Amino acid sequence: MSSAIVTQQLVKHYTPEIKAVDGIDLDVERGSIFGFLGANGSGKTTTIRMLTTLLRPTSGSGQVDGLDIIEDAAEVRKTIGVALQEASLDDIQTGRELLTLQSRLYGVPAGRIKERVAQLLRMVDLTDAADRWVKTYSGGMKRRLDLAAALVHEPKIVFLDEPTTGLDPISREAIWREVESLNKSDGVTFFLTTQYMEEADRLADRVAIIDAGRIVAEGSPTELKAEIGTDVITVRIPGGAENVERAKQALKRLDGAADIREVADSVVVYIRDGSTVIPRVVTLLNEASVAMDEVTLKRPTLDDVFLRATGHHLEAEEAQVTAEGGAS
Amino acid sequence: MNFASATFYLASRSLRETLRQPGIEVSNLFIPIFFFFVTVGALGGIAAGAFDVDNYRGFALPVAVLQGAAGAAGSGGLGMVTDIERGYFDKLMLSPAPRLSLVMGRLVADGVRVTILTVVISTVALIFGAGMETGPGGFLALVVMSGAFGFTYSGIGMAIALKTGSPQAAQVGFLVFFPLLFLSPAFAPKEVFEPWLEFMATINPVTYIIEAQRSLVLDGWEWDKLGYSAAAIAGFGAFTLTLTMLALRTRTA
Ligand SMILES: Nc1ncnc2c1ncn2[C@@H]1O[C@H](COP(=O)(O)OP(=O)(O)OP(=O)(O)O)[C@@H](O)[C@H]1O
Ligand SMILES: [Mg+2]
Repeated sequence: MSSAIVTQQLVKHYTPEIKAVDGIDLDVERGSIFGFLGANGSGKTTTIRMLTTLLRPTSGSGQVDGLDIIEDAAEVRKTIGVALQEASLDDIQTGRELLTLQSRLYGVPAGRIKERVAQLLRMVDLTDAADRWVKTYSGGMKRRLDLAAALVHEPKIVFLDEPTTGLDPISREAIWREVESLNKSDGVTFFLTTQYMEEADRLADRVAIIDAGRIVAEGSPTELKAEIGTDVITVRIPGGAENVERAKQALKRLDGAADIREVADSVVVYIRDGSTVIPRVVTLLNEASVAMDEVTLKRPTLDDVFLRATGHHLEAEEAQVTAEGGAS
Repeated sequence: MNFASATFYLASRSLRETLRQPGIEVSNLFIPIFFFFVTVGALGGIAAGAFDVDNYRGFALPVAVLQGAAGAAGSGGLGMVTDIERGYFDKLMLSPAPRLSLVMGRLVADGVRVTILTVVISTVALIFGAGMETGPGGFLALVVMSGAFGFTYSGIGMAIALKTGSPQAAQVGFLVFFPLLFLSPAFAPKEVFEPWLEFMATINPVTYIIEAQRSLVLDGWEWDKLGYSAAAIAGFGAFTLTLTMLALRTRTA
């Protein structure tokens, strides 16, 4: 059987300058959860909109469930479930009405709609709020309703664009559990975009990191982390870029470092047996009279994979986005 | 999901939306009735002498009705803009419902809203003594004609909404309504117009709808006028629906 989602050099240039997606090859196995990880503006939504037939690619091609996203767009729409980035709902319908209309448009047999809607409402824990206008729902409730709306026709392939961005940990956990359970028990394939390492790590069988419209790393979270092959020592330096640069120069004298990088207010050292190296790190910095705020040692995370692949942190940008009041 | 049932369910949803925001319809109702009373009050007394219209209340009824129709149909575009802005239209576009039904649902709902509004406005005018020469059959014909006009007129707002996705669009849709409604024999018969206005009125489809509705109210069954009106609505509809479909295509590109 063919893969759930395949693309060949998929490209979307909104204008000649805005190369939102710049040649992406994907192969998403059936029954898997595929995490599409990228910072703001990296091209995640644009990719999803092309795969779900809302946006015409500039060039390249793609198949979902073996159907061409351009030639067989109408068939693709019957097959897939989609929840877009901003829960795209109608404020002045109730949750139940919205799911009922959705079921009708997706051709759920009339006799089964009532039951299906009730079941979905139970599943996303919205039974009590079902007859209130969507306007009165919290962000987490809207997200869960949006997820339910994507599932009315029991699709085998589901696209979720940042399903948990802006949610509190409890709401996030609820969505994760739902995704996991549909994947495990019904074999639903998920293509989900995220800015959260933790989300990709927890859910995804495979992760692709997208940066400026290109995939810069791909593999299972374990593989990706193993590829780094070292521990990660992060030294936070007070007093600005100049001090960070001095620290970096000092640490270059470490033996056996695979890589040393400056990232924001820190120097990051990739090195084996990190625990035995820490005293030496402290000594080198003392000798160079560079102060330090904090020294941490950890096993590599997806964040480190991201950093190696793109040259910047994802989490820092995330914090910034929250401060700006949400992503676009 | 086939075209007819998708249209039906989307139209129902749009009408439910109207019931939940009745404020919008209040102004669609109030403005034409207000104008009706004001014009009748101002011109009713002199109409017989000035341009040979004895029953100015009946003469003004179609104008009130069409004004209500245009107002109600204009707010249909607004609903579409809201759907686009909230992203709900994307959700509808993702569904397997035929894309034309996404628009047709709203147009049909606008036709229904206009029909109901027409019944209310004409009933007010009748109570106020407008009269109806052709009786209940004529009343029905007038209502159907207005509903059909509302359906076609709402295509303008819909096209602008789809093309721009901007709330300002609805305002532009509303602007179209002024030349359309008032470059016509709205206040006086064409015969007394200055030549430029008479020319504008002659090429304006709304003129033929007003004249047909007026004949139902004032004169009796004049089949030629009804025929012109049907043709004007069909022609105007073909124009607005083409615009709408072109605009829909740019949105799916
Ligand atoms: N309709 C559009 N017209 C022009 N440029 C666009 C349009 N939509 C997106 N872009 C640009 O394309 C690039 C990719 O945007 P996209 O929305 O795909 O990113 P994203 O990864 O989903 O970001 P986010 O995490 O903020 O949702 C950005 O530079 C964005 O400004
Ligand atoms: Mg996005």
